Amino acid sequence: MSSNQCIDWQGNLACIQQSGLVIKSRHSIRGKHVFGPDSDYTTLAISGLELLSEETEISNIKFEEPIDLFVMQACGYSHDEEAVWEIVCDLDSASISISKSEIVSWEVSGNEMDEELFTQMNDAWEEEMTAVSQGAFVSEQSYRSGGPSRMNFNSQSLGEIRIWPPREMIGDQRPSDAAPMKKSGKIESWTKLSAGGAPSEFSLRAPILGGISTVFVRLDEGPCGVFLIADDEDGKPVIGNSVTFAVRRIYAQDGLIRYGLKALLS
Amino acid sequence: MVDVAVIGAGQTKFGNHALGLKGMWAESTENAFASIDGDFDPSMVDEAFIGSIAFGGGQIGNTAALLTEHTGMDNIPVRRVENACASSGFAFRDAWMAIKSGQADIVVAGGIEKMNDLTPERKRFWLGVSGDTEWERLAGLTFPGTYALMARRHFHEYGSVHDDLVNISVKNHMHGLDNEFAHIRKDVSFEKAQSGFMVADPLTLYDCCPTSDGASTVILAADHVAKKLTDDPVWVLGSGAGSDHLALHDRPSITQLIATQRAAMSAYDQAGISAKDIDLAEVHDCFTIAELMATEDLGFANRGEGGLFAREGRGRRNEGQVAINPSGGLKSKGHPLGATGTGQIVEVFKQLRGEVESSRQVRDATTALTHNVGGSGATCSVHVFGRDLK
Repeated sequence: MSSNQCIDWQGNLACIQQSGLVIKSRHSIRGKHVFGPDSDYTTLAISGLELLSEETEISNIKFEEPIDLFVMQACGYSHDEEAVWEIVCDLDSASISISKSEIVSWEVSGNEMDEELFTQMNDAWEEEMTAVSQGAFVSEQSYRSGGPSRMNFNSQSLGEIRIWPPREMIGDQRPSDAAPMKKSGKIESWTKLSAGGAPSEFSLRAPILGGISTVFVRLDEGPCGVFLIADDEDGKPVIGNSVTFAVRRIYAQDGLIRYGLKALLS
Repeated sequence: MVDVAVIGAGQTKFGNHALGLKGMWAESTENAFASIDGDFDPSMVDEAFIGSIAFGGGQIGNTAALLTEHTGMDNIPVRRVENACASSGFAFRDAWMAIKSGQADIVVAGGIEKMNDLTPERKRFWLGVSGDTEWERLAGLTFPGTYALMARRHFHEYGSVHDDLVNISVKNHMHGLDNEFAHIRKDVSFEKAQSGFMVADPLTLYDCCPTSDGASTVILAADHVAKKLTDDPVWVLGSGAGSDHLALHDRPSITQLIATQRAAMSAYDQAGISAKDIDLAEVHDCFTIAELMATEDLGFANRGEGGLFAREGRGRRNEGQVAINPSGGLKSKGHPLGATGTGQIVEVFKQLRGEVESSRQVRDATTALTHNVGGSGATCSVHVFGRDLK
């Protein structure tokens, strides 16, 4: 990618410049960029780093809250106060810059977002943070131990066979760690759950979104998985069509936002 | 080796109950004891296995001890069996094995679930606890979604269509219409079932079973005891069970249930019969697509032809090749998770003895099958029953 090229990237707007990159939410309200239904500074940072990583290797980086340290680490990025790359969040706008020297800026218009939807989603996320499980749930420990697989497709291999999500098998079936898989695959099936059919973890946001969509995907490197479609994606899934993946918010519970890879329809 | 018979069976009505766990268990067990032809005393029971998910967590520990103490089965070994919606199918298998092993002569197998006394929010948390919590639930899936993925893939691979599922829904509601124990006794037209509210695309409300309260109890006995207590035993000709990967994404195919195929193969083999010998089958139609796939996995239809089987009405009572879900199935009779498996056996027991309502009776039935699935197919039990020992 050449400098000063501006593109749609994982549902965001990104512009690579000489000194780094600016990435913004594609949504705006009255000219100010705002986050979509399942995005925040963390998802924007991961998205920007993945774009930069196509040209240059980045493993250590300087950043601060509100970017989630665990998610960054799960995606392979270590926090380092002495790093040459730094992420700076524009707290007045859904925008960040990732640069080596000075903060880069870029003016671009977003798509006007329904203000009521934006408010409802923010309120729902806030309320969801205080939700406590009353039945089945994924504990914080389970969430964290599965993070690198959930957010970066870290996988295993057993001979020629690629395994994902990771297994804990025994004897000669014990797999070894393998490189993260490519974030692409093809849809084998899909469904859209009505608000009433969605798990309780999504019960506050599903009615606002008009239900939630899930795809069953065969990843390009072999394994299958089920994934939510990114909340601000339009369009209907089609069996056989390709998807890519981006880190987005999944749900919040017990005061913790859970992140994971969601499907983007090609 | 000893042969095993069902000598008594009873249940509560499935649906919304004013009774709690203890009351429902007492009612179904009393009905089961009353169905035994000879003199029977609960103290004759050697052991009891009770299937339940303990939905809602109300009595999640020591459920079996709490229930049996109210029904005269004091101080005997008891336990709760949990295998999701297949809990009591496996409780029955455990009871059968206890007698087969020679450790017991009379054993109770039952199931129970109380689902409708929870707040909607708590109920939503518990629905779907039997799927892969970490990878499927975190992707927004509960069972309507899981089975919807199977349905759409079946449509894609084999050309089945949603109207095939509609046919199953209409048939099961028609079968359950006269069943006094059924949760939803409603004649549903094809057009109405076609236009149901979408729950998980492509599955509508008419493709999904209800959430029900209920209990069911079955009494098994060794042959030498059974002959003293009844002149009309129903023999267990085969007991098969299987399991599979919990998560859909780990299975080689999502349009068939390997656990069902394994369980059926084992049960048929023990009974010395094949699918063509079955007169009636109570199959696990938690969703209509589950019945469609079961007709293939159990061998009633060729692979990929479950849709055609439904379209041609081959599962209709007294009209088709085999009566599929003459009770109305989970769709009409209801699905109180842990009670469903032994509830199917209650129906088969009565059908083979000619004791159901005359309008529901499968004519000349001598051989029957029950098929009880846990979750999206991670566990399954299949049992074959006969009027006569083969």
